[in-house]
Amino acid sequence: MDIFADLMMGLSVAISPINILYLLIGAIVGMIVGVIPGFGPSAGLAILLPVTFGMDPIGAIMMLAAIYYGAMYGGTITSILLNTPGESATVASTFDGFPLAKNGRAGPALVMQAAASFVGGTVGVILITILAPLFSQVSRSFGPPEYFLLAVMGMLTLLVMIGSNWKLGVISALIGFALGTVGVDLETGQGRYTFGSAELIGGIYFIPIAIGLFGLGELFYAFYNGLHKTGTGGIVQYDNEERFWPTAQDWLSTRMTMVRGSVLGFVVGVIPGAGATIASLMAYSTERSLSKNSENFGKGEMAGLVAPETANNAASSGAMIPLLTLGIPGSASTAVLLAAFIMWGLRPGPLFMEQNPEFAWGLIASMYLGNMALLAISIFAIPLFVQIIKVPYRMLAPCIVVVCALGTFSVHASFVETYLMFAAGIVGFFMRLYGFSPAALVLALVLGPLAEEALRQTMTISRGSFSIFVERTPSLWIIGVTLTLIVLLPMLNRFGKPKVDQPAKADG
Amino acid sequence: MRVAFFVVLLAGAIFYSYVAYADLNFLTRTGRPGPGFFPRLIGTAAIIFTLWTLVEELRKAERERTDPRKWKDVVILMALACSYAVLLKLFGGFVATVIFLGATLMLLNRAQPIKNVLVATLVPSGVYLLFDRVLNANMPPALFELPI
Repeated sequence: MDIFADLMMGLSVAISPINILYLLIGAIVGMIVGVIPGFGPSAGLAILLPVTFGMDPIGAIMMLAAIYYGAMYGGTITSILLNTPGESATVASTFDGFPLAKNGRAGPALVMQAAASFVGGTVGVILITILAPLFSQVSRSFGPPEYFLLAVMGMLTLLVMIGSNWKLGVISALIGFALGTVGVDLETGQGRYTFGSAELIGGIYFIPIAIGLFGLGELFYAFYNGLHKTGTGGIVQYDNEERFWPTAQDWLSTRMTMVRGSVLGFVVGVIPGAGATIASLMAYSTERSLSKNSENFGKGEMAGLVAPETANNAASSGAMIPLLTLGIPGSASTAVLLAAFIMWGLRPGPLFMEQNPEFAWGLIASMYLGNMALLAISIFAIPLFVQIIKVPYRMLAPCIVVVCALGTFSVHASFVETYLMFAAGIVGFFMRLYGFSPAALVLALVLGPLAEEALRQTMTISRGSFSIFVERTPSLWIIGVTLTLIVLLPMLNRFGKPKVDQPAKADG
Repeated sequence: MRVAFFVVLLAGAIFYSYVAYADLNFLTRTGRPGPGFFPRLIGTAAIIFTLWTLVEELRKAERERTDPRKWKDVVILMALACSYAVLLKLFGGFVATVIFLGATLMLLNRAQPIKNVLVATLVPSGVYLLFDRVLNANMPPALFELPI
């Protein structure tokens, strides 16, 4: 009953006219971010974070969260109509989404993806509502050793998921850790890598790096791949079809797919480093292996579209659990969300839900409302998003550069940070080109200072002995879970690999 | 290019480690991890991994073949973006954005000059209204004010 009362309190916070307006803006912006190819939720969040500075913190976080899960809805529209995933988590949706559209069933595919996204997102939020307080209670016994181990777990699982390019992933993470050490050492007051610059005393701020890597870096990479030269001539004209709405058979045949995809997606989303992309690919593979019509997969099977859609939305909800209850982001997108929390003086962790109930439950309640709004928007505003798809990338790209630059400057009115953002953009392009992981860099930049602080506190407690990591029960549990994940994740990753080769980018 | 990128990373890792070993203490006087504890571990690991991948790269039999045409537009966009960073400092947010958008669109989208002019003036106006008027956020100030 406590959970219900908390949720009602959260709803009372979320349902104010201004917060509903922010939520709707976030949902629409999230869908637009999802629709633009090569522009994922991490980039959208990082670029739009400075825009929320003038807002009330609860409304701002509600809006940013809506951008985060709204991108999952929007990304599928291009997967179905253009065979181009709007972002990496919707790659699996192209396998059956585009064949459905080519077979004259684009309308039913668009409606079913919206419904599947809604089911996945809502089941994910229900599971957050039930599990987040439990996670919070368990993590209350955590101290600095456990926080250090959690940060290590977050990095290790991400690197394991990178797979064959793991060495490049490690180098990316080390660059992030190195950037995280810049600034005054809080324990001794000694400057590290500041080289006499006053602007670097406070350290390298996270936002310019994230905007540069995910915004400009991805944009340069899209240019390198010639996205600005390709038109949208291949877009499927869904408005000429006889039937827009799905049939009863579509609903009935995919009801269990939605349940399976939601649960699987949520579980994968909770694991740091796994993320929505892996969840959607795993859900697709699972559904294909369980289906009686497995030979139809890849040719326009509705279950092949519904499975990844429920999973990627449930995963994006699942990723909120470690963020809210442990303060550990599991992906680049949740790392940007963590930066937003910190910006408003909030520190997610075991005591977060207890100390900030209005904020935490307001956010959770807003996710129910956000998913409802997104269901309506993604069905009834399809023509609007089709118009956005038709805007040539060569015209969109310079406008994105402008928003990245002015957004970065607006944070601290700093030209140094703006130049840093442009530099991060160029580095981010080469990282993408040569197989490095910008997601690992950003995660390490966020987790590095947390890990260093926790390790130094741990060493103080243990008087320099590392045996503290195997003396405490919670630490042993975390070590056990980490080792299990390191063994299991590569197997799950292989199982989730699609048979069709599709370009995918790691969002972490 | 790939090897050059690894060499740049290696140089960065060596410089980072040099500062960590030369200027930052590994332990404090009380024997706890000092300001150089993490940087030395990071720097050493970065040198090892970068060298490892660089050697692997050099041993590869086949060299990367890149199509120069793929680089043309991305290098132009990077150059324009860097110029925009300089223009922001010189002429401020609004004027620099008009110049940047005008120049970029004229290069990338030559077939639609009227549309380019419209985008180059309307987008900066919209961004100015959003940042400066609605959100009350900082816009880059101009070093040289233009008489407009």
